[in-house]
Amino acid sequence: MKRVALGAALLAVLAALAMYPAYGTGYGTRAVLQVFMWVALAGSWNIISGLTGYVSFGHVAFFGAGAYTAGILIAGSGWSWPVAAVAGGVAAALLALGIGGPCLRLKGPYFAIAMLGLNEVLRALVSYFERLTGGGNGLSLPTLDATVPIYYAMGLTAIAVTLAARLIIGSRFGLRLMTIREDEVAAEAMGIPTFRHKLLAFLLSAIGPGIAGALTARDQGYIEPLSVFPLATTITMIVMTLFGGKGTVWGPVLGAVVLFVAQEFVWARYPYIHPLLFGAIIIAVVLAMPRGVLGLLQLKYRLPRTI
Amino acid sequence: MNVVLTPTMVGQVVISGILSGVLYGMVALGLALIFGVMRIINVAHGPLLMLGAYSTFFLYSTWGLNPYLTVPISMAVLFGVGLLLERTLVFRVVDAPELSSLLLTFGISIALVNAAQLAFTSDLRSVEYVTGSWIVGPFALSKSRTIAFAFAGVLTAAAFLFLGYTRLGKAIRATSQSRDVAMVCGIDVGAIHRLTFGLASALAAAGGALIAMIVAIQPEMGQIWTFKSFLVIVLGGAGNYPGALLGGMLLGLVEQLASLFLTTQLSEVVAYVLLVLVLLVRPTGLLGGRQT
Repeated sequence: MKRVALGAALLAVLAALAMYPAYGTGYGTRAVLQVFMWVALAGSWNIISGLTGYVSFGHVAFFGAGAYTAGILIAGSGWSWPVAAVAGGVAAALLALGIGGPCLRLKGPYFAIAMLGLNEVLRALVSYFERLTGGGNGLSLPTLDATVPIYYAMGLTAIAVTLAARLIIGSRFGLRLMTIREDEVAAEAMGIPTFRHKLLAFLLSAIGPGIAGALTARDQGYIEPLSVFPLATTITMIVMTLFGGKGTVWGPVLGAVVLFVAQEFVWARYPYIHPLLFGAIIIAVVLAMPRGVLGLLQLKYRLPRTI
Repeated sequence: MNVVLTPTMVGQVVISGILSGVLYGMVALGLALIFGVMRIINVAHGPLLMLGAYSTFFLYSTWGLNPYLTVPISMAVLFGVGLLLERTLVFRVVDAPELSSLLLTFGISIALVNAAQLAFTSDLRSVEYVTGSWIVGPFALSKSRTIAFAFAGVLTAAAFLFLGYTRLGKAIRATSQSRDVAMVCGIDVGAIHRLTFGLASALAAAGGALIAMIVAIQPEMGQIWTFKSFLVIVLGGAGNYPGALLGGMLLGLVEQLASLFLTTQLSEVVAYVLLVLVLLVRPTGLLGGRQT
């Protein structure tokens, strides 16, 4: 019964979100679109970092790679935006393959720091190849009012990422990833091909940000190196996932919704304090509440592992 | 791309590479010490360097101190900051999974950078004290870089003498080799952790103070130094302290060499490609280090 009720509630929320653009204000639609984007980003970060314990400090690189791939294809080659969004996801996955190949072979912090540098490198490359990317002047896409279709596309991306997390966490693949997180040597000793598992998780975690970046590029109509590679985006997705509960299905969703609302309505008045607060939240969550809100609830009410 | 290499140019590249390489080595030695002793990669290492740079800037601009005199003061200040950070926050994650220590120091680094932005604004600041170059034969030696090289060389040598010959330095090396055995021998491991974190922060601060006299500084300058310091210890071999110096030289040389063929915009890309190549070909570092 409880399952049916929860499923019905979930369907009702999805239906309400699906009908929202027809009734809501333009501002409201954009705000929900943003929440969808954060759900997709935080959920994707969770797949690599929450499940395998390999911290990605540069996940915004995939967002930016998706944005530039789509931007170049739309502005330069006249692709339609849905196809370009898929191409953005593919480009991000290829980038993940190139970085993960050398960096995920090794245990330890190599991966984390390589990701910390990746963002700067992509930004430098985008600024350097001016002919293709417009360099520091940015890249303008042809005007097109597609906020509502992009709302649905971003919503689908968020759903797909969350569903993927649910399927992974409930599967043997997910269990193996969590084994790697708890004890990689033991995982290897049990016969888990750890490198391939980590790489696959990393690939999967890159696709969502790639698509989200492509959709954002189309939605905003203009991209430049500073706007699509901000370190702040990586920080925000990490904070959202940690706060909601890393390694859970709904933690990143919860974190994205709560922190986005807090950010819009409370902290927007104090724009300078807000990044400082994010640093403080990370420190506080790591020390005091490493499982996040959902993880605490799981322990307290004995909820299933797969929420 | 059509660059004709003359012996003079190669000589200039080698000189400039060594000048900046020793600075890289000194800053990276701090990161290597924390990693060796505490098994933590301190993502806040670069932001601590940034604080050192600002400390020198304000001592110079407010009290008019000679910027080279401020180097030891900035080191002392950041030694205190490092000690405090370890005592309040970092010690809690020493035995925690790597995810915790990486995220915690990442949180600290974000907090430091944004606190600096609030306190000092994002304006570019610089300490223009010594400008111009010495001309030695066909080579030009930037004065500020050469003096920074000398300072970094002396400080690095002092750090190695301290690690090699003093009781405290030996205790640090012992803790880095085996914490349990060090504890059994009567070493206060907690105190060694604090001391190491303080020393590493002081080395970062010295780097920041010297860099402030070479280029303009701003609150976000730190992150790339965390990355470069890490690259240096990967090059030299993680846990291998002399390797940090070699790695620093190598990074300096490669960056200078690349600047002949490419714009300086791409120097970070070159460093990155270098990191990926080393991880692919020789992940234990060029001198070989401990596998972690």
